[in-house]
Amino acid sequence: MSSGLPPQGNISGAAPETEPRRPLPPAKKKLSARDRYLPALISVAMIVAVFGFAGYAVTSAEQWPRIARQFFDLGAMAASFPQVLRGFWLNIQVWAICLFAIMAWGLVLALFRSLTGPWFAPLRVFTIVYIDLFRGLPVLLLVLIFGFGIPALNLPGLPNSALFWGATAMVISYAAYSAEIYRSGIEAVHDGQSAAARALGLSQWQTMRYAILPQAIRNVMPVLLNLAVALQKDVALLSVIGVRDAVREAQIYTAQTFNYSSLIAAALLFLVATIPMARLTDYLTKKDRQRRLQGAS
Amino acid sequence: MSIKISLLSSLAVAATLAFGTAHAQDNTPDDPRLFTPGQLTVATSDPVFPPWMMDNDPSNGEGFESAFVYALAEKMGFAPDDVVWVRETFDQAIAPGAKNYDFGIQQISVTEDRAQIATFSDVYSQPQKAVVAMPGSAVEQASSFADLLQVRWGVMIGTTDLDYVEQIIGVDEPAVYNDQVGLFQALQGNQIDAVATELPTALYLTAVQVPDATIAAILPPDENDYGHGLIFEQGNDLVEWVNEAIAELQSEGVIDALVAQYLIADPDLPVITE
Repeated sequence: MSSGLPPQGNISGAAPETEPRRPLPPAKKKLSARDRYLPALISVAMIVAVFGFAGYAVTSAEQWPRIARQFFDLGAMAASFPQVLRGFWLNIQVWAICLFAIMAWGLVLALFRSLTGPWFAPLRVFTIVYIDLFRGLPVLLLVLIFGFGIPALNLPGLPNSALFWGATAMVISYAAYSAEIYRSGIEAVHDGQSAAARALGLSQWQTMRYAILPQAIRNVMPVLLNLAVALQKDVALLSVIGVRDAVREAQIYTAQTFNYSSLIAAALLFLVATIPMARLTDYLTKKDRQRRLQGAS
Repeated sequence: MSIKISLLSSLAVAATLAFGTAHAQDNTPDDPRLFTPGQLTVATSDPVFPPWMMDNDPSNGEGFESAFVYALAEKMGFAPDDVVWVRETFDQAIAPGAKNYDFGIQQISVTEDRAQIATFSDVYSQPQKAVVAMPGSAVEQASSFADLLQVRWGVMIGTTDLDYVEQIIGVDEPAVYNDQVGLFQALQGNQIDAVATELPTALYLTAVQVPDATIAAILPPDENDYGHGLIFEQGNDLVEWVNEAIAELQSEGVIDALVAQYLIADPDLPVITE
């Protein structure tokens, strides 16, 4: 006992063999009613006080009745809702198709960039330039340039629909982000994994396909989902090139009536779609962290 | 004695002035209800397009709306130098909250719905609608609404053209663009075949902005679109004074003369009525 180690828990006179190896968890402390409920009560009281005050401050403003009429008019929301919902369905369709294309094209870009060997130098350079270029440009600019510029060329054999080119711009831009995400996932896989796979006689492609990518994609799944949430909202940018999505339908109603309640209706629709996505992302992130911690112990 | 009387009477005059100030100055350039008393502050869009205003300069008095505002200001007792212009977007014009001007003018159509949110003056112009298309388009051969239904339509947001195309012609989901530039880019890119717009705007577009395009036809007016009004912050009571001035300009034929000067179309254009 002179080693200077801190005293271990529940050391008693019992024989060392029968002693548990780990200290027992501390006995559950009995919480008094005060300790148990007071924090929750304080939380609730604070929430009521802060939001109540904010609500009071807003609704007591002299202009509030007018704002309420212009932004939160249930009648106007109901009147604009069918159109906004129809536009929102377009948002969802475009989102799903773009998301698929972005995930696929981003992966291809990431693979291009991870290829080693002198033969692939042009692909690597292409990818680096591509990512620098399209990650550095605002999506809105790309949507405007693609949506208005390319159709104006009147290229034979290519569609000239604004929706098509706007969606293409979204894919091109977002794929640059997703490529970087994939790449970070690929680089996060330990070198030993690829060394081991090569030692088993797998080719470079097989190593990537069977050893690296499955781990890499699982690593970055939460981040990719985050990108998917961001994309869901950015699809609304297509409204600037004449696509009648939810935002555009809401703006049309606003322009016709000068009533902004349609924008609130559109906002609610986006929340209904993005909040479950965000929760799913949170859940997956948490699960992923637990998985890693288990792996570490 | 006479001195006393004159002193008394001048006191009386002074008292009248002191107590009657608010009323005495109403409907004069020093009206305290003005955004800046002594000046008429008028908002318009940026940029502004002919024939409504020329050279993107509202203050040169040229173009229908600029000339109209200066005529209006003169009726209300303002010197041309007392007319001050501010620029705003369409969205700013319809947004709630205090405005930094007395009224706005940018071809804003008066409708029932809009009048519940903003205050409008009496209508000062009611232009016809026109169809603009590229040469060779099917629209050129159109002679009925049924023909017009066969093509892809585009309109600009914030105008009553969308209502017109959807409700009068019966088109399903025309494309809706943020501005004229987008609208005509889409027309040139063959993304749409036909653009509905007000005739004066169409005249300028086909003459200057997109010289390739032509006015294919004139369309009948929409009864629900009352025409252009000046837009005021809701509840602004300057509107009555302005309405009196508009009525005077109308009865004197000033507005008709401005229409004849700036907003007249080729009388040979085909008219499609249904």
